[in-house]
Amino acid sequence: MLKSTFTPFFSTIPAKPRFPKPLPSTILRALTQSAPPVRQNTSLTIFPPPTSAYVHLPFCRKRCHYCDFTIIALGSSSSSNQPEDDPRMVNYVQLLCREINATQVKTNPPLETVFFGGGTPSLVPPKLVSSILETLRLKFGLSLDAEISMEMDPGTFDGEKLKGMMELGVNRVSLGVQAFQEELLKSCGRAHGLKEVYDAIEIVGSCGVENWSMDLISSLPHQTPEMWEESLRLTVEARPPHVSVYDLQVEQGTKFGRLYTPGEFPLPSETRSAEFYRMASRTLSDAGYEHYEISSYGKKGYQCKHNLTYWKNKPFYGFGLGSASHVGGVRFSRPKMMKEYNGYVENLENGLVDCGGSKYIDVKDMAMDVVMLSLRTSRGLDLKSFGEAYGSSLVVSLCEVYKPYVESGHVVFLDEQRRAMTVDELNSFKLNEEEIEKSLAYIRLSDPDGFLLSNELISLAFAVVSP
Amino acid sequence: MGFLSRASKTLKPPKNLSLLQTHLTLNPLSSIFRRNPVSTNFNYDPLRLSQAFCSHSRQSSKENAVDLSQYPAERIRNFSIIAHVDHGKSTLADRLLELTGTIKRGHGQPQYLDKLQVERERGITVKAQTATMFHKHSFHGADKDGAGEEPSFLLNLIDTPGHVDFSYEVSRSLAACQGALLVVDAAQGVQAQTVANFYLAFESNLAIIPVINKIDQPTADPERVKAQLKSMFDLDASDALLTSAKTGQGLEHVLPAVIERVPPPPGKSESPLRMLLLDSYYDEYKGVICHVAVVDGMLRKGDKIASAATGQAYDILDVGIMHPELTSTGVLHTGQVGYVVSGMRSTKEARIGDTLHHNKTIVQPLSGFKPAKHMVFSGLYPADGSDFEALNHAIERLTCNDASVSVARESSTALGLGFRCGFLGLLHMDVFHQRLEQEHGAHVISTIPTVPYIYEYSDGSKVEVQNPAALVANSKKQVTACWEPTVLATIIIPSEYVGAVITLCSERRGQQLEYTFIDSQRAFMKYRLPLREIVVDFYNELKSITSGYATFDYEDSEYQQSDMVKLDILLNGQPVDAMATIVHNLKAQRIGRELVEKLKKYIDRQMFEITIQAAIGTKVVARETISAMRKNVLAKCYGGDVSRKRKLLDKQKEGKKRMKRVGSIDIPQEAFHELLKSS
Repeated sequence: MLKSTFTPFFSTIPAKPRFPKPLPSTILRALTQSAPPVRQNTSLTIFPPPTSAYVHLPFCRKRCHYCDFTIIALGSSSSSNQPEDDPRMVNYVQLLCREINATQVKTNPPLETVFFGGGTPSLVPPKLVSSILETLRLKFGLSLDAEISMEMDPGTFDGEKLKGMMELGVNRVSLGVQAFQEELLKSCGRAHGLKEVYDAIEIVGSCGVENWSMDLISSLPHQTPEMWEESLRLTVEARPPHVSVYDLQVEQGTKFGRLYTPGEFPLPSETRSAEFYRMASRTLSDAGYEHYEISSYGKKGYQCKHNLTYWKNKPFYGFGLGSASHVGGVRFSRPKMMKEYNGYVENLENGLVDCGGSKYIDVKDMAMDVVMLSLRTSRGLDLKSFGEAYGSSLVVSLCEVYKPYVESGHVVFLDEQRRAMTVDELNSFKLNEEEIEKSLAYIRLSDPDGFLLSNELISLAFAVVSP
Repeated sequence: MGFLSRASKTLKPPKNLSLLQTHLTLNPLSSIFRRNPVSTNFNYDPLRLSQAFCSHSRQSSKENAVDLSQYPAERIRNFSIIAHVDHGKSTLADRLLELTGTIKRGHGQPQYLDKLQVERERGITVKAQTATMFHKHSFHGADKDGAGEEPSFLLNLIDTPGHVDFSYEVSRSLAACQGALLVVDAAQGVQAQTVANFYLAFESNLAIIPVINKIDQPTADPERVKAQLKSMFDLDASDALLTSAKTGQGLEHVLPAVIERVPPPPGKSESPLRMLLLDSYYDEYKGVICHVAVVDGMLRKGDKIASAATGQAYDILDVGIMHPELTSTGVLHTGQVGYVVSGMRSTKEARIGDTLHHNKTIVQPLSGFKPAKHMVFSGLYPADGSDFEALNHAIERLTCNDASVSVARESSTALGLGFRCGFLGLLHMDVFHQRLEQEHGAHVISTIPTVPYIYEYSDGSKVEVQNPAALVANSKKQVTACWEPTVLATIIIPSEYVGAVITLCSERRGQQLEYTFIDSQRAFMKYRLPLREIVVDFYNELKSITSGYATFDYEDSEYQQSDMVKLDILLNGQPVDAMATIVHNLKAQRIGRELVEKLKKYIDRQMFEITIQAAIGTKVVARETISAMRKNVLAKCYGGDVSRKRKLLDKQKEGKKRMKRVGSIDIPQEAFHELLKSS
């Protein structure tokens, strides 16, 4: 009975197949109150098949001091441009292709985005990348205008290699510059220096990569406001159509985690770190970038389509060591250890695992994912579709909990035309289902104040969804 | 009559209502838990959960053969042991029970030892209110009858609480006695609680037998102790007994001294039954069990009795003595002390100090005890607001066996629904909290303990204020006067600490009443102190400035007029009712600053700036600011792996859940706990 009523679970953004039947809010309320795990079938009418794929290429020359991703450090023996026959890469890519092939697919619309993340995907020889793309193409099909991104690190590619990648279809480069100061690059353990940064920018330009992103990290140890300002200025001067600004997270188990405490020297204080974030927001906005997600800036038309699938809570495949997928409503992370991953692929081939579907999905979990992800974007949370999926009373509660933060300038309520509601309007506004439906369409976090405190603000919403 | 006058004498103005037990160690509970469970027969358990072991009547036919009719009043002695903590009261009691064969030496009764163990694990001392012993004795051989047999005496050792937190209960126990063993450690000499207990016994007209214990210690100096007893209490120390309960030395003289020096109970056997209800507790199997002292007349199983207080009638279903387990005898004679089971449904029906008599007879009620007076009040709230019902249930269960806690519902804007509880003292409060948490899994936030003040308003009305929040500014009804409860404190210290202690006491608004030297090394001081000043941390402070050498005891005294004001704590201008406290005007600023600083330390930065203020009325006396949180963002891409973000945010949400929300400010529970610790 419940199954048939569960239709539009993720429709924060009007998904392509619009589901007409809203879930009766009474049922949802009952569900959100008692939180029973809802058994969800993976019927395609409920969860459309993914049109995005994340491919994890874990190889790095060495591990950066801040990094806790799933990587395989190749060591200094592999010189950057001739690892063609490194058996570790060859074997891994073979295994990866086996995983792709063994993935169960019911219908297969062509992929719209592919993202090679790492690790340092640019270390992988084009020949191997080619075999991956070929496998994907055969398995799912690749849309003609598909966005195919690759993370590339300075010093790991030359013009020839980049051209090779482009010929295979890679049309977007995410360049891991991180900083424009020799001493910072060194102290965070990057495998390249400043010269390689400039060379890489030059190569990207000369190869005619039109769609590329400059990736930076703020709040590095010993980073000063002057350094950050310089990095931002040089970034703008390099004219990438997209910039990602990541804020250093000191993770447990990393070298930084052992050496440093957030907010304490040599890391910038919380106040300074917040100032770095504001500087980026200001500088990049002034330079014509839209701050469309907490850590992403793009010129018009250059938002990263692949990453948008994440923020829109849309499904995506994940292939490779430690990668995460979101298929059939289920989020699944692959093993992070090579041996286990190998076993996982074997089981997949033998039909013993199915990483999409046939699991219990909690409605509250889904609602929280939607809130968490959409509030990271400048578009914000779409109240209409959220209300349809999770009940309009939940929308009222969210508005109530955020109301004080509209006054404090952390949250913005927007109407259908994306006009922001003023505090005065809000104060004379009745927060009930009818009124909200009539004049509110989105909730977003303000830039930069709301974004800076997004964890606080989102966890407030969590408490509403799942008290 | 003697007994009656004694009973009433102890009850006169509630002088003997003492709140804080003298032997609080740094952790006030540890002193309870530390106690040896075997000797705990005579330990007072303030919460009375613990009588389980005596709830099982002894079934052995030999024991049932006790014929109480052989013990007329002149062959009965009712006595107690009083001592400063750790002077050996429990061990001595234990030895006496062994000496008379009442319990077996060592681990004789495995099943009740087991039980004790369980209770000990739960951190509760076992209590037996009374133990009956039999002992043969002849007065210097003169009383031997023809057969050469020595007459047997029935001795009731009536427990006094080990914690003078409840000296109200000491006087209750003493009311059923005619004599007391005053036990003093041969090395430590007279201590504060010795003094307090001596006066309680003295005021009850009890025959006092000094016992200098622990004489086996290398540092024992019985002569010095004798001199102290003489100078402090004017006791003839020449007949003091010298014992070591540990080695057994001198113990053989104790019971003969009791029999020879304590008078028999004075009641009339031919008069109608009157008995004093000494104590009660609830037993899961038998229901309410009352401890009683038969003052006049005789009680039999099957009798119908009535309560003088309520008029309610009950059937005596079982009657007997504590030997030390409940031992059914079917009868209790004049002067005897024992238990009755009467089908009462709740301990609330068993009013301590009530007179029980045969139904349909008319007797003059014995002077009863005053009801327990609650001297420390605190709000108890569920840490998680949704757990109110669970807390309610837990409190109900606990108070079932501890009628000495008063409970009233209250609500706080900061903490939601909760309870205002009244306690006999701070230890009592701590134990109650601990048991709520340990036994009932209730997580509570308690508000700053407060003492009951009396406020007089311009319209002439007087109100007892048990909750600072209840003191609301009202222009029509202005406060014209305020009285606060005081205590008379006894402090005994090595003389080198006199200066420090005087400083401490004057900081606490104390008034010195007496200052003498017990001997060349020890000073004795008496102070009148406001109860408020000693309620929280006085004893710890005293211990720490005297390297642990001070001993301290106090008794309840009268109210004194004081300039007490309400100190509000405001967060972003909004008063937090649960944090309000009543302080002396002159100390308001200092305390305000302390509280505000503490809160600043425990409240995390939030999305907006928080001002913390302490204010008297509209006058702000202290202020701190917590600047707004600058940044809490996860600006990092995990290749679509949102589970980490989720985990982080879930954790953050859970953290918030454990906080209390006042307005839009999240206050961690620790902030409330920390406020408790400041005076």
